[in-house]
Amino acid sequence: MKGLAPLFLGIFGTFAFSWVGLTVIPNWQIGHLNPQSDEEGTDIYPQPQSGMFERGGRVYVANGCVYCHSEQVRPEYAGADIDRGWGNRRSAPRDYIFERQVLLGKMRMGQDLANIGARAPAEQASPSPTGAAAPAGSPAGGTSPAAPPVPQGAAPPASPAAKQSPSSSPPAQAASPVPAGSPSGAISPATSPGSSPPTAVAPAGPQTGIGAPWPIQTVGEPPMYSAAWHHVHLYSPRSINVDSNMPSYRFLYEKRRTHEQRSADALKLTGADAPPEGWEIVPTYDAKCLVAYMMALNQSHSLKDVSSVSGAPATPAGAASPAPSPVPAK
Amino acid sequence: MNATATGIPLKEPAVSAVAGDTEQLERAYIDASTRVPVLMFYASAMAWLILGTLLAGFVSFKLHEPDLLSNISFLTWGRVRPAHMNVMVYGWASMAGIGTAIWLMARLCRTVLRYPLLLVAGACLWNLGVFLGIGGILLGDSTGYQWLEFPRYAAIILFVAYTLVASWAVLMFRYRRGEQIYITQWYLLGAFLWFPWLYTAGQLMLFAVPVQGVLQTAVGWWYANNLLFLWFGAIALGTAYYMIPKVIGRPVYSYHLATIGFWTYALFSSWTGMQRLIDGPFPAWMITASIAATILTMIPVATVGLNHHMTMQGYFPLMRYSPTLRFTVFGAMSYTVFSVVGLLISLRSVASYVNFTQASVAYSHLGLYAFFTMVIFGSMYYIVPRLVGREWRYASLIKLHFWASAYGIGLMTLMLLVGGFSQGSSMENPTLAFSESVETVLPYLRGRSLAGILLTASHFIFAYHFGLMLLGLGRTSTVPTFLNPVEAETSGGH
Repeated sequence: MKGLAPLFLGIFGTFAFSWVGLTVIPNWQIGHLNPQSDEEGTDIYPQPQSGMFERGGRVYVANGCVYCHSEQVRPEYAGADIDRGWGNRRSAPRDYIFERQVLLGKMRMGQDLANIGARAPAEQASPSPTGAAAPAGSPAGGTSPAAPPVPQGAAPPASPAAKQSPSSSPPAQAASPVPAGSPSGAISPATSPGSSPPTAVAPAGPQTGIGAPWPIQTVGEPPMYSAAWHHVHLYSPRSINVDSNMPSYRFLYEKRRTHEQRSADALKLTGADAPPEGWEIVPTYDAKCLVAYMMALNQSHSLKDVSSVSGAPATPAGAASPAPSPVPAK
Repeated sequence: MNATATGIPLKEPAVSAVAGDTEQLERAYIDASTRVPVLMFYASAMAWLILGTLLAGFVSFKLHEPDLLSNISFLTWGRVRPAHMNVMVYGWASMAGIGTAIWLMARLCRTVLRYPLLLVAGACLWNLGVFLGIGGILLGDSTGYQWLEFPRYAAIILFVAYTLVASWAVLMFRYRRGEQIYITQWYLLGAFLWFPWLYTAGQLMLFAVPVQGVLQTAVGWWYANNLLFLWFGAIALGTAYYMIPKVIGRPVYSYHLATIGFWTYALFSSWTGMQRLIDGPFPAWMITASIAATILTMIPVATVGLNHHMTMQGYFPLMRYSPTLRFTVFGAMSYTVFSVVGLLISLRSVASYVNFTQASVAYSHLGLYAFFTMVIFGSMYYIVPRLVGREWRYASLIKLHFWASAYGIGLMTLMLLVGGFSQGSSMENPTLAFSESVETVLPYLRGRSLAGILLTASHFIFAYHFGLMLLGLGRTSTVPTFLNPVEAETSGGH
């Protein structure tokens, strides 16, 4: 090749082509979306997020959560995200317009979190302080981290659940502390004990509790995906699920002496994780923001340009989401 | 062939000293002028390589032993992992790549290195930038975009350092002698011009004037992908185009194939990247365009591969002797493997399995290690003796280095690919609990840690050997260090 001019032009030209094609044009196309609203302009989605959400997002980034957790639900034809109860429709660009930093993620060593907030129990369903009052002495489960959590009935047999008690009684217990928010809550007690599902080729009904993300709901623990649950889970993941591969984030928590009374936000820990008498574990502000961030991740509101899957378990009845109908929007 | 531009066909100075005395002297003179800056880049790169390797081992073990040192905030997995990646990308790979590129530029422009201070300052600043960036990530300042995790203060320093290096490269071009611009120079010039544009575009569109919503992710992957192809890939291909003909003493098979390969590479590989967003919340055309571009990258793969193969035709036995050739050819072959694996995991039917699994980690390691790093190792085996005036001391260490690296990266790729596929197929099956997919991949991750031990050994061996060379403890000899004793006819043959 002779002469620099054609070389320079070519080098710039090819790159400009890629830059315009893959960043500038998409920016024209979907870079300036607005929230949608209904005719009256009352039901606006999505909504701007709180300051705690922003800060929580930064904590999420700083500690690299994005390297194991995604925040996107794939459409029903690709992957099992919706079957797993991770959402009731695919994610769309409009879902993210108010997030300062979008963390779609590329790896799932942990669950998808796009709807983790939607899976939280509704406020009224959260447990009464009874659970809280007896932090260490709850009768059935979880007094020692060694004791494996009770498997949820629908868990497949080949799974680690096999290591645990295969008895089918647990679901009954499990039902007691109102597993309200868990997507599986809707189905577990009734259907699962009978269908001890191993061979069942899991036909048709994708809603059958399959997506049970964690097999358990032990007595005395906060309801799954509640704020209190997230704190315990961040502090000691394996006290909630022995098979969890998540590191603990104890450095986001503070151990301090109890003044006359336990703080309202002290973690309800059991077994080896529990602090000694007279001490308590409380979340730092960063930890609270992180949990606030997760609790606000919620794409259950229907979008006009995306059809929802009806009957998908992602939105528990009465969950915080105002979306009433999982019916396809069109 | 007209590839004769800059003294490319190709005699090895040490062997035939009497032949062209002036050319000989000129080369030695040019090499000497590159000594300080290139060695500085190489030595820094080696230090980062060792640090990055240790971090990698830590990351790999923590992934299957999550309780290992998890109570210390700056050692939490989610911080060490980006630290590892950025040490490797900006500390090791970029600095070693720049070192090789400087030396190649000086030789191919046939002019002594001017303005060495620009480069020395560039190297110092670059090190400072990487150091601050890694510190920032460990202290919780990461930005969270793959390969752009450095906080802004580090990114700016890195950019200034880069500007010094790039302006040097452009100045060198002004002083070049000879009409022809050799293939290697196309790639290097491309890399030097693409990088700043890419880096600026990434920084601006993500931090200064951030784009809205999901486009951030698209821009992030566009950046990471182009960094892999247009920066690292271009440097590695350019280096291979120099080293292979040079070592075997034979011109490149076809100049026209090289032209086709270069332009299709620039055109198509820069359009890939969006396939990583497959099934995500994006307009389908973006993803489809990238899948199409990934398929089209088979054109440069085929042409470059064919060209190297035909150049090597009949000379493959030389890999038995020349360390440079062995590493470079391994790297050049890995380019094909890397591209084919990249194509396979991009196809929609496959991607629905391996999306969100360890397979994508296998892909990055194939590109950055099996392809780029191996080529750069090869070039260092060629260049360093010419800078320090000594030959590599132990052939056995070079062999160990090669085999530990080759087996290490092979095993790692295999583990991550197979692990990724089984992880993905568990994840796609909603009758299995999610934790099942994690359980499935854990044994493979332990295998990956094993591969990591091999790579760690290989890097320590190389660093030790390199250290000996720096200290002037290499062999004093006019004959390069061969991997195996060379019979008379091979050494004198050409």
